Amino acid sequence: MTAAERGAPRTALLGLSGLAGLLLLVEVLPRAGIVSDSYLPPASRILAALGREAATGPFWVAVGDTLLAWAIGLAIAVVAGVTVGIVIGAVPVLRALTASTVEFLRPIPSVALIPLAVLLYGSDLGSTLLLVVYAAFWQVLVQVLYGVADVDPVAADTARSFRFSSWGRIRYVLWPTALPYVFTGVRLAASVALVLAVTTELVIGAPGLGAVIAVAQTSGAIPTMYALIVVTGLLGVTINVAARATERHFLSWHQSVRGEASA
Amino acid sequence: MRRLVAGMAVLALAAAGAGCGSSGGGDAPTTADGVAQVKVGVIPIVDVAPIYLGQQKGFFKSRNIELTMESGQGGAAIVPGVVSGQFQFGFSNVTSLLIAQTKNVPIKVVANGVASTGEAGKDFGGVVVRKDSPITKAADLAGKKIAVNTLKNIGDTTVRESVRKAGGDPSAISFVEMPFPNMPAAVEGGQVEAAWVVEPSLSAVTAAGGRVVAWNYVDAAPDLTVAAYFASSKLIGENPDLVKRFTEAMNESLAYADAHPDEVRAVLGSYTKIDAKVREGLTLPKWPTAINKPSVETLAKLGATDGIFGGATPDLAKILP
Repeated sequence: MTAAERGAPRTALLGLSGLAGLLLLVEVLPRAGIVSDSYLPPASRILAALGREAATGPFWVAVGDTLLAWAIGLAIAVVAGVTVGIVIGAVPVLRALTASTVEFLRPIPSVALIPLAVLLYGSDLGSTLLLVVYAAFWQVLVQVLYGVADVDPVAADTARSFRFSSWGRIRYVLWPTALPYVFTGVRLAASVALVLAVTTELVIGAPGLGAVIAVAQTSGAIPTMYALIVVTGLLGVTINVAARATERHFLSWHQSVRGEASA
Repeated sequence: MRRLVAGMAVLALAAAGAGCGSSGGGDAPTTADGVAQVKVGVIPIVDVAPIYLGQQKGFFKSRNIELTMESGQGGAAIVPGVVSGQFQFGFSNVTSLLIAQTKNVPIKVVANGVASTGEAGKDFGGVVVRKDSPITKAADLAGKKIAVNTLKNIGDTTVRESVRKAGGDPSAISFVEMPFPNMPAAVEGGQVEAAWVVEPSLSAVTAAGGRVVAWNYVDAAPDLTVAAYFASSKLIGENPDLVKRFTEAMNESLAYADAHPDEVRAVLGSYTKIDAKVREGLTLPKWPTAINKPSVETLAKLGATDGIFGGATPDLAKILP
């Protein structure tokens, strides 16, 4: 058992008590009249609304739509980000050529592309995917570029002097070095993709949890609205936990996971 | 999938710094048995209850139209969606349509949408204040901070008219943009001194003790036409038969909704999350089948007075059927 694993139950316990504290706060503040309970209902009422929602079919369809958009968008972003990142990273000329373009496009907020998305796809899955992919792609690409740049020059030169093919150099030198960066990129992209999926649904009404939140807002159904927001939070936590578990599994050989001091 | 590829291609082009592209959607797809699949861009609020009711009653199916409602948060998605052919029809307030006309956006009204009840004290939208506010009448709104859902649109022009008619100076009002659902809290919390709200937020405010100080739709024009269904000029030119069938089905739905308020309250439960008790108490709007042209002219005149058309004059003949 590593130090990290021994610490896990304790961390989880602390995390849970933090969450319980938040619930208590949301329960007490409206009940004590510090905030109006019509606009921030007590936690118990939000959870009751959550229970009512969870018993309906359309709710699960909405959760499914959001997760589908998230998964497809993330998959496209990861494949594109890794491929483009390795190609650009491995060819110095390409890297110099694209550096400023990447820095120019990366900070453009995905939501600024909403008019383009609506023009191309209306309020369908396509709109959500366009925004999700745009936002998540840069997260992966930039990490891959860092990863490729981190390759030990001695290792790279050694591979070259042993006349490794390009594929061999990517497979045995570049990829193992870049992999932890790739996973960091995927983990960041997974969260960003969820945020963008829900935002797109919220703003343009593409099917999913966001659209249901928008309907609850316009209907003045405030406990239901908070209940749905809680669901997006829970999805975010689940996705993050899953991403970390996957990372630990695939990088079990790497020092960042083994928790050893570097030599 | 083809669209996805097109979208990615657009992104790739943008990434290469080489401009942009767009694809125009086309006609409504028709199934083998001649049923047109029609997408309508709507805002999921009380105003569009007739189309949901009409769908339930089979008024569209009997005319070989299969409806899908695509809900947007407002004109941001609906007008471009209709123009690009993603939606065959859309729902929008009249002032937004007039603004679009002055910008030569190729759209045209095909059916009435929703109208004011025309009765002060019993309309579905009004200007509200908190219960202990010193504001008691429309004239007091002069110089105050008032929330509207969209600046330079139907809300602020009609509120100005209310103040003007009551003898106040509308030029000194400062309008703040805010989504309708946020307004009840903002009024109660004092972030704004008044807010123009529509149902169900109107009920939320009055239930909390708030007061209505101006009925802006009623003050602007008798039986004001507030919103309408529209289509792109392209669809109207290429498939006049579909447009005609949609208009007929829509008119039947409007008339039915107007005559069956209880069924309207029931259908609200199917596409909104408005609480059952609130639904019972809502003030419903009017759903006449005819567009009240003089009221549209008034909205055009008010818009011009307030300078929301950028100096242009909307051509009503081009936007109205």
